[in-house]
Amino acid sequence: MSVFPECKKMKRTGFFPALLLGGLFSAMVPVLNMAFRSELYTGQGKPPVRILLDANWQMMAMLNILLVLVGTCILYHTEYENHAIGKMAALPIRRGRLFVDKFLLMAAACIVILALEAAAVGFCSFRWFPLPEGFHGLILELLQNFGYFLLLMMPAMLLSLFIASVCENMWISLGIGVICVFTATMLPSGNFAWSLFPYALLFQIPKSLPAHTAGKLLLAVPIEIGAIGIAGALFANIRRRFT
Amino acid sequence: MNIIESSHLTKTYGDFAAVSDIHLHIPGGKVYGFLGPNGAGKSTTMKMLLGLTKPTRGTFVIDGKKYPENRMEILGEVGSLIESPAFYGNLSGEENLEIVRRILGLPKSAVSEALEIVGMTPYRKRLAGKYSLGMKQRLGLASALIGRPPILILDEPTNGLDPVGIHEIRALIRSLPQQFGCTVLISSHLLSEMERMADSIGILNHGRLLFEGTLQELKQRAGAQGFPTENLEDSFLSLIEADNRQTGGMR
Repeated sequence: MSVFPECKKMKRTGFFPALLLGGLFSAMVPVLNMAFRSELYTGQGKPPVRILLDANWQMMAMLNILLVLVGTCILYHTEYENHAIGKMAALPIRRGRLFVDKFLLMAAACIVILALEAAAVGFCSFRWFPLPEGFHGLILELLQNFGYFLLLMMPAMLLSLFIASVCENMWISLGIGVICVFTATMLPSGNFAWSLFPYALLFQIPKSLPAHTAGKLLLAVPIEIGAIGIAGALFANIRRRFT
Repeated sequence: MNIIESSHLTKTYGDFAAVSDIHLHIPGGKVYGFLGPNGAGKSTTMKMLLGLTKPTRGTFVIDGKKYPENRMEILGEVGSLIESPAFYGNLSGEENLEIVRRILGLPKSAVSEALEIVGMTPYRKRLAGKYSLGMKQRLGLASALIGRPPILILDEPTNGLDPVGIHEIRALIRSLPQQFGCTVLISSHLLSEMERMADSIGILNHGRLLFEGTLQELKQRAGAQGFPTENLEDSFLSLIEADNRQTGGMR
């Protein structure tokens, strides 16, 4: 796999600045929340990372999902805008591979976003809370939580990328994505089946869920990733059959 | 020896036959002109040869490689410019070619060589989105020529060029078989253009191949059928009109 051409294609599209600024903006949410009303959270008696995520993650997850939508739309918009995808199709490279490379680039960008957010949550824990398990325990807690978030983000990433690959008009894929995000926010929160909707997954905090629910969730997500990923790559490869 | 051969190549969309049962024989190391009025099926045929559109029926062999089994190998040997030039508008001409170079696994020098061939070196740093139509066309040609592929498929490559540009690109295409030993399949709806470039031609009308051979053979055939032969354009038009009369313009 070579993600280099995909990185190069994103030059001057605003992809990297948009995701970086969006990530910074999202990372500011817990910092500002604590800066202005820390007294609401410091006396709760729970682990600091848990308190911070319970208080801020819904907003951060919403921003993350919107960044995923914007990122995936830009990734395919550059292909369709001047029909560059036509040139790619005439080169010895499978469209399925383009899909996978774009996913890898998007996943790398999401790792950076989540790292910024993890750093912000870590900073807030360090600055406003006592750390009974020490700095090492804090890092471990952050890695676990944000590792889960990366996993939960992937189905939405893949589905958005799939939609963006199908729709030549970026506004259609963006519109579908926004509708899906708002649908996700309206789904009943206690229902496990609904929680598997790709755009609803990221709003959950596995470490705050009952152990058996979190276990089922973390088992279902890789299956979802595999299914959407294979569907996206396969569709990309067979698309020419419909033209 | 033929480098491209097709057999019963057909593409239909519902009841409409865009390309109907054509048998192409394109000799290696020559310029083969694909001629026909607008909508004759030239672009569809070229797209099928590149695997961009799946044939409804029939198959073809390019440089001994059979479609669809060896599609990737075929694409590795064919440089193409289909319909309008395709590029990343946010990248410079040089960066566009760099992406193609990476995918084809070519040496770094291939980019500057391709730019030089089409006369785009002075504009290599400019964003492709800001290029004029003629410059976009040249960039498309450069991305087809990069790495000197043994086969070139060019769909109306002089579209959008000014008269000087047309002359330059014609001369370039004409020289490619001698310079790089490649075979060029080029389409146009202008016989005058083909007369200046092609060694042999194929005439398509309503998706059917009406004639395949050299310009001399076209003249002879037109004469045999009682069509004018003094002017090749008249011969071509008569051939098309006779076919339209015979088929009623139906596919």
